[in-house]
Amino acid sequence: MGEHEARGWIRSDETAKQMLSRVLGDRAFLLLPPLHRVPLRAGNVVEITGSSPTAKTQILIQAAITCILPKTWNGVHYGGLEKLVLFLDLDCRFDVLRLSDMLKNRLLEAYRIGNGAWWQLEESNVKTQDKSKIVYDEELYVSCMKRFLYLRCYDSLELLSTLKVLFYTLHYRIRLQEACGSQVGVLMIDSIGAFHWTDRLSSSLALDKNNRKSLSLTNVVETIVQEMKKLMQVHSLVVIATKATIYEEKYPTNENNRNISSHSDLFGNPSSKAQQPPFREFMPSSWQAFVTHKIFIRKSDDHHKSLGQQNLSAYLLEWLQPQLSSIDRFIVDDVSKLSHLQVLL
Amino acid sequence: MAPLKHLEMENSIIDACFRDFCASHGILTVEDFLLHDLYELAAFAEREANADRLKEGITVMLSLIEVKCRPLLNGMELLEDLQRNKHTLSSGDNGADSLLQGGLREGQLTELVGPSSSGKTQFCMQASASVAEKQDGRVFYIDTGNSFCARRIAQFICGSSDAAALRKRVLSRISCHTVYDIYTMFDTLQGLEVALRSQMNVNEYRLRLLVVDSISSLITPILGGSGSQGTCPCTTRFDGGTWISA
Repeated sequence: MGEHEARGWIRSDETAKQMLSRVLGDRAFLLLPPLHRVPLRAGNVVEITGSSPTAKTQILIQAAITCILPKTWNGVHYGGLEKLVLFLDLDCRFDVLRLSDMLKNRLLEAYRIGNGAWWQLEESNVKTQDKSKIVYDEELYVSCMKRFLYLRCYDSLELLSTLKVLFYTLHYRIRLQEACGSQVGVLMIDSIGAFHWTDRLSSSLALDKNNRKSLSLTNVVETIVQEMKKLMQVHSLVVIATKATIYEEKYPTNENNRNISSHSDLFGNPSSKAQQPPFREFMPSSWQAFVTHKIFIRKSDDHHKSLGQQNLSAYLLEWLQPQLSSIDRFIVDDVSKLSHLQVLL
Repeated sequence: MAPLKHLEMENSIIDACFRDFCASHGILTVEDFLLHDLYELAAFAEREANADRLKEGITVMLSLIEVKCRPLLNGMELLEDLQRNKHTLSSGDNGADSLLQGGLREGQLTELVGPSSSGKTQFCMQASASVAEKQDGRVFYIDTGNSFCARRIAQFICGSSDAAALRKRVLSRISCHTVYDIYTMFDTLQGLEVALRSQMNVNEYRLRLLVVDSISSLITPILGGSGSQGTCPCTTRFDGGTWISA
């Protein structure tokens, strides 16, 4: 090697500032309410755990709406990301009407705020029957709904084949869709533990050939994680998965003790809480290692009396990883909107 | 578990050579193929003598899997499907209808939970009568506790002048099957699935409602124990009808 080439090899490709601006441009931070406490980047895997029902799918839908809305449209600011959402429904329970209603609500709200008519918002919350004042943009609504891509899987083999096929054909399928926008922002999985029991059953049918991989729970989840990693590498996306706890807490008094101890050691050692997750983990270790962020949702003990005098149940959202000291409390009201109430410490 | 040699008939590329190569990596069926990393497999194929043919075989396998995959649907297509195919069936009771915002929705599983003697079976029978009479649909009723009573259903059917003929017609659309354990129920449901798939003509009396009364008496003997909630280990796909499970 001549001196010239050696110098060329040592010389830097770009400065740190250039690298940061490039990376932040490609893989920007996403702030998806109600998960806005921690900014998410492409490559993050968020797992939302909670018993059933705790509004997990509602959170997914709200995050999806933030993703599919554009930033501005016709002069009105919507604050969205204008990216596609890929929703893998493993629970097969998704209700598209909820998504549609929430989206229409958001469009109306943003339109009213944008036009300085914010005082009409309170009115619209009370008079829900007044349909004559629907002033949202139909074209915008259609383009947003088209950015929501949905797929259903009925068992883990279907999920595996879907992930494999998506890896090779996602760009092509998006183009077939004529979706407005071609980058997938979020991959959502509703209930990653949906096939837990069926997979556990089939592992008892394991075969005895030596080098053959059996269809056991660990193998299947490992392959799922591998395929998702490959997908994430090619299309820079965030993965948000919900997980329903399937083992009941055997000692419910533990929760009261935990609450008391968390109040007492406010400035104490936060890692003591991390040692005891409030639910029993059933996913294999390959999945647990894949997850980068964890959220736990549980039902709050006290109910909330809203304007309409309805007894709505409140939920507590807690970030387990990264451990945050604040707990968000929210309710789901009539218009299927998640409204944040207060932040508990 | 489809062994690979069954695919040879239609795809000549999956010949004995390809199958030997796959078997050397522990792939004997299509499911095994799904569990493996395709890049890794292609890299191994590079080392073989007939590398191109093997890689072509892998591509053909992948395209076969792709054919089976469902297409991606976007939000507007979901809404259209909902409005066109998934109608709301009245459950026969106005109170329940207002609670369910219109009634039972097709494509959804509605679960009725309650202590014994709280009217669950009555609700199931009323819903069956309502669907069979007003929506002109067939009802598949799975009864596990000998609580199905045709006379009671006949009482739910409100008649006009030709009451007897109407009643006969409506009752003929409800088929009741008695099962006492979960495995018989799986068999029944699989039989139903096969029958629905092979149904060529979609006549007006298509199956609209599937009632299981009651699912807890089938599952409790298996689950037993305390503190373990699990989901029923059955995955059945009924996309066009409605379940009620009591």
